Amino acid sequence: MYGELFQVIVRGGGHAVTHAARGAARMGSRTLLLTHNMETIGQMSCNPAIGGIGKGHLVKEVDAMGGVMAQAIDQGGIQFRTLNARKGPAVRATRAQADRALYKAAVRHAVENQPNLSVFQQAVDDLLIEQDRVVGAITQMGLVFRAPAVVLTVGTFLGGRIHIGLDNYQGGRAGDPPANALARRLRERPFRVGRLKTGTPPRIDGKTIDFSKLEEQPGDDPAPVFSFMGNRDQHPAQVSCWITHTNPRTHEIIRGALDRSPMYSGEIEGVGPRYCPSVEDKVVRFADKESHQIFIEPEGLDTHEVYPNGISTSLPFDVQLELVRSCVGLERAHITRPGYAIEYDYFDPRDLRPSLETRHVGGLFFAGQINGTTGYEEAAAQGLVAGINAARLVQDREPWNPGRDLAYMGVLIDDLITRGTKEPYRMFTSRAEYRLMLREDNADLRLTPVARRLGLVDDARWAAFEAKRETIEREQQRLRATLIRPADVSPADAQRVFGSPLRREQHLDELLRRPEVSYASLMSLDAAGQPVADPAVAEQVEIQAKYAGYLERQRDEIERSRRYESLPIPEDLDYGQVAGLSSEVRQKLADHRPASIGQAARIAGVTPAAVSLLLVHLRRGERDGQRRRA
Amino acid sequence: MAADTICAIATPPGQGGVGIVRVSGPAAARLIDAVAGPLPGPRRAVFRRFTDQDGSVLDEGLVLWFPAPGSFTGEDVAEFQGHGGPVLLDRLLRRLIGLGARLARPGEFSERAFLNGKLDLAQAEAVADLIAASSEAAARAAMESLRGVFSERVHTLTDSLIALRVHVESAIDFPDEEIDFLSDGAVADGLAQVQDELAAVRRAAGQGQVLRDGMTVVIAGRPNAGKSSLLNALAETDAAIVTEVAGTTRDVLRERIQIDGMPLHVIDTAGLRDSVNIVEQEGIRRAWRAIGEADRLLLVVDDRCGPDEAARRVLAGRPADTPVTLIRNKIDLSGAGPMTGEEGGIPVIRLSAKTGAGLEGLREHLKASMGYTAGEGNFTARRRHLQALDRAGECLDRAATQLVAGAGELVAEELRQAQQALAEITGEFTSEDLLGAIFSTFCIGK
Ligand SMILES: Nc1nc2c(ncn2[C@@H]2O[C@H](COP(=O)(O)OP(=O)(O)OP(=O)(O)O)[C@@H](O)[C@H]2O)c(=O)[nH]1
Ligand SMILES: [Mg+2]
Repeated sequence: MYGELFQVIVRGGGHAVTHAARGAARMGSRTLLLTHNMETIGQMSCNPAIGGIGKGHLVKEVDAMGGVMAQAIDQGGIQFRTLNARKGPAVRATRAQADRALYKAAVRHAVENQPNLSVFQQAVDDLLIEQDRVVGAITQMGLVFRAPAVVLTVGTFLGGRIHIGLDNYQGGRAGDPPANALARRLRERPFRVGRLKTGTPPRIDGKTIDFSKLEEQPGDDPAPVFSFMGNRDQHPAQVSCWITHTNPRTHEIIRGALDRSPMYSGEIEGVGPRYCPSVEDKVVRFADKESHQIFIEPEGLDTHEVYPNGISTSLPFDVQLELVRSCVGLERAHITRPGYAIEYDYFDPRDLRPSLETRHVGGLFFAGQINGTTGYEEAAAQGLVAGINAARLVQDREPWNPGRDLAYMGVLIDDLITRGTKEPYRMFTSRAEYRLMLREDNADLRLTPVARRLGLVDDARWAAFEAKRETIEREQQRLRATLIRPADVSPADAQRVFGSPLRREQHLDELLRRPEVSYASLMSLDAAGQPVADPAVAEQVEIQAKYAGYLERQRDEIERSRRYESLPIPEDLDYGQVAGLSSEVRQKLADHRPASIGQAARIAGVTPAAVSLLLVHLRRGERDGQRRRA
Repeated sequence: MAADTICAIATPPGQGGVGIVRVSGPAAARLIDAVAGPLPGPRRAVFRRFTDQDGSVLDEGLVLWFPAPGSFTGEDVAEFQGHGGPVLLDRLLRRLIGLGARLARPGEFSERAFLNGKLDLAQAEAVADLIAASSEAAARAAMESLRGVFSERVHTLTDSLIALRVHVESAIDFPDEEIDFLSDGAVADGLAQVQDELAAVRRAAGQGQVLRDGMTVVIAGRPNAGKSSLLNALAETDAAIVTEVAGTTRDVLRERIQIDGMPLHVIDTAGLRDSVNIVEQEGIRRAWRAIGEADRLLLVVDDRCGPDEAARRVLAGRPADTPVTLIRNKIDLSGAGPMTGEEGGIPVIRLSAKTGAGLEGLREHLKASMGYTAGEGNFTARRRHLQALDRAGECLDRAATQLVAGAGELVAEELRQAQQALAEITGEFTSEDLLGAIFSTFCIGK
């Protein structure tokens, strides 16, 4: 192995790295995973949960493409819920609390048993770069590994600085060493670097919490399942989360200590996420709100430690203790680990190609927190795409770029590379314009065929998928072909199912489109024939019928935008040559370097008129090119 | 900079007094220096001689210098105000072109202003309207649009829509945050309010379009009712042939007139009756087609007989939503006085096309029916704008239905599409903007 030639090297320890490494290996590339500590593989460095709105969507997409995250949480999840259950299917999302140890074990198992993948515990100290192409990596103790593609997924280790009160010190996640040598090497290149901030709450010993005073939040029964290949029986024992609140006294304590907050004293320059503010931020920015929720999340089945989600803070430890103890049920709480804020470098993702390959160093890919994102799910999705494209680069194939209309993965990457980000980027469903198409429930239908073509899906998954797809199609055909006449339905049944008598004969599929009719209620009619047994198939049939009109409209919209979308902009286009552009727009385009007209149009401040000018310029270029060739 | 320098005559052709040549682009300063001597201070008019290449004097007048970005187009702009007259202006233009400027395409100055962020799309279009404005009222309305009245109203509307979307989207993306507005009445109230607001903008814009393009008024009725006489009276010409022979008018006749500066297309048609004459039959067919296009019908009857068979046919056969005014003509013969009133829900005007009695009442009535209120608050809108507003309106209506059905994600989808429609008038809005609005409105984050 040592000194051996690899095709893809992946460096890091988080969720991006496992997905990148397994992705590349499954594509057939001989892959080496370098990590400074094997114990960090599959580790949840922040809160112990997977999924949520937008994120659950990513997990299911990654699963459909053979990623391990969904299967690992099915084996390690200790409280499962479907969020937005009462809203429509497109915005429903699965979320689970994880037992950190179980989750990690499942991931590690998948990594260790992945053919084509070797793991070696050594931090990458430097990259080997020849003529603007990466050709390998050098580890801490000077070992050299050569490979034509390297995926870097370094997280908060890059230039990391931890703040607790006015004290601060260099470091990655509490306990991990910062990767400063590598950071220096990357800074030599013309990458644009920014600084972000994130925080964690103090952890609490559950034995010191009075749960009788808290509101219980049990998981759903029956529990939802994450992986398309998973099932409920894999779930370990289930436990509850608990809810308490901050109160005016908590806020008093926080206000009284702001002068010792690194955020408000100017120690921290990194930008934190607006959707996940520290508790001091909440109190300052929303001063008239008297109380904020705190979710007490279990860290695992074998530990008493809990994660109080909602009070991440970088206030001094004495203040942390006081504010925690001011909350109902936490009066005697013992803090096991202090909360802190961490600042770290990220590389402006606008310096990436849609494949996640960097523009400045060929063969070098970035995925995860290094690109300014936050969250395990966002990291996994990028890791997977980077791994796929690293393998494809080595195989001399075109990169795979999922579109915004195919997957949240596409939305994620397109947002990053066209708009960049100013705060840690997190997925939300409102980021997806084609939200009604990009659902959790159809992630397999959208992506399994793509993944199969890419070579990521094994025969077992493919067979299961094809069976499901066929059953859906057959049932849809049956619904389209089966006519229900008013005489077929008794008045009582009609009242029960349709809320009114059936006035004219209609096909089953038309009847299913009515808002008040469900697949189950429709199939309760004798005349409706034999329903399908698989609930996942029934669900698909029902959702596709309900959304039919809307999906049609979204497909039209996609068609319209595709005319733009597909038109590539040469990477070396000199925007100075595009007639009529304002200097401001010219600057924006030069900064973002959009890969297509569609991307250009999505850059804030690029007007429709500017897009037309670009189009004209490109067309003219084409014409001139043809003339020259002729 | 790649942009070239454009020039054009900015005053209408062929008129005396002052003639203005405008220049925009990077060479503007150089052109002033070559033609009229040293650059004056920014935005100050100085009196200069305009010289030709050989030093001979072309004209004399004021030179103005507007350095970028504080000019109309956002580029360096020069203005030469000379003595009008096509020959003089032409020679000045040729001189500028000789110095490297290029003759501007129509609308190119506004286009540059738009591209440089000086105007939004609606304003840029208003400039074009202003130039093409055929009437005083239309010009005034275009002026209003230019000042951004229309854009501003659409922006205000968009803001309300965004506020609504913030509620809906945050309920969807942050279900754990105790902000589920979909289930309380807040979204329903907000939606109703946005619908009202949109309807108001739509009304104003519709009127704006009428102001810009002119309302089409079709005169119809039985032969000899006095239709052609009425057209002539309104147009104050004898454009249409008038005889006492029933069936005089055989073709449609269009006249463009103005009432208090407001443009109006008046169309005279063949009298409606059963005819065996092929020419007349064709005329009647054309009359019906004109009736189909009308923004308003003037149904002419002889006051002595009242509504006749032809009148009944028109009322039954017109498109259901075309408004009608009943004209009881020839009051000089019936002996009745002029008046405006109502009969069975239809406005009625008694007048004499021959003497002109009651004609003023008709003019006032036409003005009022266009929703024309003198001067204030009118703005021009293009058909494109109206279509966008209509599309947004349809989305809002469907959103209301989905809200009742409890489908939050479909409410959200309709609102997104509504906003997309509005964005065609005023420009882009991204999901990032939406999230920004959510985060500044609510405390999100656990
Ligand atoms: N006394 C009087 N005669 C009128 C008046 N209006 C029209 N007439 C006369 O009525 C006759 C028919 O007038 P037109 O204007 O040609 O009628 P029309 O409706 O256009 O008729 P067709 O073109 O044949 O359909 C002419 O002799 C007019 O002079 C009016 O208000 N008073
Ligand atoms: Mg006539």
